[in-house]
Amino acid sequence: MKLLIIEDQAELAANIDQYLKKEGFVSEMAANYREAVNKLGGYNYDLLLLDLMLPDGNGLDILKHVRSHFPSMGVLIISAKNALEDKVKGLELGADDYLPKPFHLSELNARLKSIYRRRNLQGEQVIKFNEIELNTDMMEATINGQHVELTKKEYELLLYMLLNRNRVLSKQSIAEHLWGDYMDAADSFDFVYQHIKNLRKKIVKAGGSDYIQNMYGSGYKFNEKR
Amino acid sequence: MKLIYKITLFYLTISFVVFLFGYLITYQVIKREIDLEQQRFLKDRLASALRMIERRPLTRPFEREKISIIPLEGEVPETGLLYSDTLVMHQSLERIEPHIKLDVVRKVGDRYYKISMYDLIIEEDDIEDGIQESLIKMYLILIGVVLLLAAISSYWLLKPFNLTLEKIKNFNLKGEEHTRFVKSSTSEFNKLNIFLNEMIRKMKKDYFALKEFTENASHEMQTPIAIARGKLELLLESDNLSDKQTMLVISAQDSIRRMSKIGSALSLLAKIENREFEQIESLNFSELVEKLLFDFKELIDLKEITVEEDIIKDVFIQMDSTLAAILVTNLLQNAIRHNKYQGEIFVFLDKQKLSITNTGDPLTLDPAQMFDRFKKNDQSRESVGLGLAIVKKICDINNFLLDYNFKNEKHCLTIRF
Repeated sequence: MKLLIIEDQAELAANIDQYLKKEGFVSEMAANYREAVNKLGGYNYDLLLLDLMLPDGNGLDILKHVRSHFPSMGVLIISAKNALEDKVKGLELGADDYLPKPFHLSELNARLKSIYRRRNLQGEQVIKFNEIELNTDMMEATINGQHVELTKKEYELLLYMLLNRNRVLSKQSIAEHLWGDYMDAADSFDFVYQHIKNLRKKIVKAGGSDYIQNMYGSGYKFNEKR
Repeated sequence: MKLIYKITLFYLTISFVVFLFGYLITYQVIKREIDLEQQRFLKDRLASALRMIERRPLTRPFEREKISIIPLEGEVPETGLLYSDTLVMHQSLERIEPHIKLDVVRKVGDRYYKISMYDLIIEEDDIEDGIQESLIKMYLILIGVVLLLAAISSYWLLKPFNLTLEKIKNFNLKGEEHTRFVKSSTSEFNKLNIFLNEMIRKMKKDYFALKEFTENASHEMQTPIAIARGKLELLLESDNLSDKQTMLVISAQDSIRRMSKIGSALSLLAKIENREFEQIESLNFSELVEKLLFDFKELIDLKEITVEEDIIKDVFIQMDSTLAAILVTNLLQNAIRHNKYQGEIFVFLDKQKLSITNTGDPLTLDPAQMFDRFKKNDQSRESVGLGLAIVKKICDINNFLLDYNFKNEKHCLTIRF
């Protein structure tokens, strides 16, 4: 998966690059508009991570350029301006998704992978890991070929963990992924615990291994090696 | 009440007092003139009576209407003219009427006579009635003329002032265009216009500076936060972290999240204050509340809260749709967060009001402070303490009334549209 990160904050770009390397992404970085257009002319990328605020131009112009020249490239917009217009405009111009700063790298990873899957692996709507299979089209899970009844949130949780295998996921990042802006309404961290508990039970009951590892009460990890 | 009518009323009140004094003065002057006139009249008649006696001296008392002449015996001292008021039977009116009386003792020829003459007095009542009637009519004319003049002159005099008011009313802080005031021939209004111009210029300058700052601050803050958050996530990936270190990292992440929340909530407050959400439309509030209740359903269920709704269909409210969503989201969030396990929420909506009632522990905070920024009932709680401040701000700019009360262990927030 080749990724171009267009982000003027070098530190942030370095974070993203380092985090995604483990997931098999090969990333290049562009710190401004000019550099971005140059790189887009010279190489072919699968995915584009686009910061809308650039020192020498507007990211939306890059988006227009990409859409007319590389219609199949996946684009994820990241922006510190949590402005609704930017989001709407970006999606209208053909971006695949929008993620406001600050985001969790695990969330970014999950979103990029989803875009990649949608754009590049046509027809392949199944994410497979050992005995677990997720059908992203039907939003259904099977373990050892057996259908497992999961609630919508449990399915989303499992998908999120599968996309972020072997990563420590804080309760916070999980809550934000599952409930977004609404997570503040309730004691959502306790609910994360409940969901994890139920999900584990269902996987083990269907004959799957217990991959979900509790990290000192403050996070979880989907551990391949268990 | 319009200024001009206030002035007019004030003027008319003063005129009324002046008219009262005028009444007293007029009464006295007229009374005095009449008295003098009557005395002169009696004096004239006395002179003709004396002439008559001179020609034909009387030996017997002479009594006619309004005159009596009594010849006196011997030597009596002459007196001066003595006027007095008395009551006499009036012959043609056939009733007793007040008269003015002149008594005098005079020597005519070689006899002394006591002469009394009467004349009908012009009664004080009549004078009073006359003066009253004329003054009241004059006062009524004055009121009419003054009101008419006030209306005309206020239109003419205050025209520049009203134009200025109109300009201020239509003034939009966000607007780029320059507000121009019409020059007037009244120096006070010109001064006002100059002052307003200066004020508007300063206001706009400050507003744009503040706006820029808020935007920049929010943007510039989120980026370092995003970087720090990423670094911590990368740190978590290290293989050789101890349990304690992991917990430290995760708790640092929590604080970072709160910081980011505060930043975006403050910038949202500033944006609402700057009236950046002004796409007023007719919004189906019932649908919005239903939709958000549905969105929150899972979190409500997880806390085993019972929700009761009494939502009238198709309640339309004029407001910005983004703000409406933020308003209801914050209210529901509040009702869920500060609720008990297996608590209750009651949502009521009709054309006049939206009220959300939830069970929960009583406030430890002064209810008057609950809409202030960073006021939290429980300082250790996860919340940032800006949710209700945002609710209040949205209500303020939409002129909604926001009300809180606590009854039967239940918190109730009511918004009157």
